[in-house]
Amino acid sequence: MSHEIFMPALSSTMTEGKIVEWLKNPGDKVERGESVLVVESDKADMDVESFQDGYLAAVLMPAGSTAPVGETIGLIVENEDEITSVQEQNKGNQQEVSSSDQLELVSNKTEEKPIAQNEIVEKQEKEVVLKSEKADPSFNSDQINAATNNVSSRIIASPRAKKLASQMGVDLAKVHGSGPHGRIQADDILKANGQPVSIPWIGEGDSPASIPGANLGVKIKPETSGNSFGNPGETVQFNTLQKAVNKNMESSLDVPCFRVGYSINTDKLDNFYKKVKQNGVTMTALLVKAVAKTLKKHPQVNSSFSENGISYPENINIAVAVAMEDGGLITPVLKEPCNTDLFELSREWKDLVKRSRSKQLEPDEYSTGTFTLSNLGMFGVDRFDAILPPGTGAILAIASSKPTVVANSDGSISVNKIMQVNLTADHRVIYGADGASFLKDLASLIENEPENLVS
Amino acid sequence: MDNRTAIIKQPDNISSFNDVYKLQKQYQQALILDKSNPDFIWIGEHQLCYTLGRGSNYDNLLFSLNDSRYDVFKIDRGGEVTCHMPGQLVTYLVLDLKNFNKDLNWYLRKVEEIIIKILETFNINCQSRKGFTGVWVGNKKIASIGIGCKRWITINGFSININCELENFNKIVPCGIENCLMANMIDYNKNLNIQEVKRIVKKIIQEEFNFDFVSK
Repeated sequence: MSHEIFMPALSSTMTEGKIVEWLKNPGDKVERGESVLVVESDKADMDVESFQDGYLAAVLMPAGSTAPVGETIGLIVENEDEITSVQEQNKGNQQEVSSSDQLELVSNKTEEKPIAQNEIVEKQEKEVVLKSEKADPSFNSDQINAATNNVSSRIIASPRAKKLASQMGVDLAKVHGSGPHGRIQADDILKANGQPVSIPWIGEGDSPASIPGANLGVKIKPETSGNSFGNPGETVQFNTLQKAVNKNMESSLDVPCFRVGYSINTDKLDNFYKKVKQNGVTMTALLVKAVAKTLKKHPQVNSSFSENGISYPENINIAVAVAMEDGGLITPVLKEPCNTDLFELSREWKDLVKRSRSKQLEPDEYSTGTFTLSNLGMFGVDRFDAILPPGTGAILAIASSKPTVVANSDGSISVNKIMQVNLTADHRVIYGADGASFLKDLASLIENEPENLVS
Repeated sequence: MDNRTAIIKQPDNISSFNDVYKLQKQYQQALILDKSNPDFIWIGEHQLCYTLGRGSNYDNLLFSLNDSRYDVFKIDRGGEVTCHMPGQLVTYLVLDLKNFNKDLNWYLRKVEEIIIKILETFNINCQSRKGFTGVWVGNKKIASIGIGCKRWITINGFSININCELENFNKIVPCGIENCLMANMIDYNKNLNIQEVKRIVKKIIQEEFNFDFVSK
């Protein structure tokens, strides 16, 4: 399997970086931690390292070129014999990338006048509008395919589809477009690559964050009536995961918990999210980052009860509850989010979710949380409270962010997006004032300086 | 912020560029392997040599690479060609930015700020210029910056012209800026000497990064 090398963020204000030099050539062996390329921002250079032992299989962006932060710029494979197949797959992309936009390429080749090119662009924009207005779902895909064939050999694809195709090594010429006039959409590329459509984006649309998989059961099995694990009249045994959750939840009955809530204005956070979303950032990663940064200032809220006294963990590890399709839930852990940039953190999160679905998490990837997040925002809930997992001192319940009429201190009235959060904490180690001042600082970070969540 | 321990070296004699570069790499590697290792600061002077960043354009070198009269080094820093020589104070900072701010733009601006504070101590009025990293007195460049970074551990740093032979810059296009004029500190303050500047560089770096200095 191949691993992607991404354009790193060298600073919070950087949106794209220049590749100065590839220190390795395609086919070269690379060791974990070894520098593979150099990226430059102004007068500062950064070595980008390989995160695994393997071979550099493909360079997708040549030296001298510029790429947006988070863009895939190279591929590393684990085994030598995978190099050729990955190179084969990406051959087209490497040329495409170095010769800039494909659309221009097509029009140059056919020697169309610049006006004609504009027409194409205009037409495509209209198509985008059409698409977002939501085409009739009863649209017959055969009809579309027939239309595609009439459109001659020119490939029309959305910019995101093109980007995905180049990242995944999908040949655009072999993809059937499902958009208007056979235009290739991002989902078509995912399908062509054998990937479940829009998996990494579930619940990440306009809702504040996701418990990916929570609504998956409903989506994948529309034929079952309602969301349950058994049929009417039946008693179904708990599975192992459900039993484990039960045990954990029952142990919370011995803990004297209290709850404290806060309403947070997410206008700035939502705007910031719109900007960084295109670089693969997830709302979960943003929230985890915000919580971790605030915990750093409030170590008391990261502490837990032990027989010997208040136990302060060495690390800040944020567990995030993820509902499992077949019952139970799991809490994958993002370790030390303060030491990982937002883009890397988002990738880690997607990887954790993917592997928790296929039950491939290592114990230390779901049992080392020092603080837990539970988010039901994508269901539109306005508030809820969470049960404290054993061995930790606090859990934060995050509800949906909703447009709300707000009376401001100067007497004016405005409509802002407001998200309610609710902290459940063990009163033996965390007191009301600790929880309240933590929430105050968390709100201040989210409301005033979401851009600081990048690094 | 807690104080960090840093090892400081400030030799009085002229140092070989290559030796100091190797030394920086050693301290950088040590920090990569174990973050509890100390940061490293070096303040001193080099013999005449030219250095290029990894992205540098060789066209900015106005002599042949085969010319044995000039030492040329290609090193891991950003920026274009520059030149070091006696009378120019070079400061290298091997810092773990994870302890400060994992942001190279922040770091570049911080280094500019430090240089400005150093020069202001000697009553030299100077500025940074947006888009032209370095420190300027009017339209003349007085200090240059070039940074490398691996796993947020920096290498290289900045150089301030004190009383060096600026003609040496004529053999290159400094920092890739055509017709770039250079200046010496001595042009604006006749009474200073390099030892005094060294002392101030050390003091300001110590204050700005909250260092406990250990000499070794």
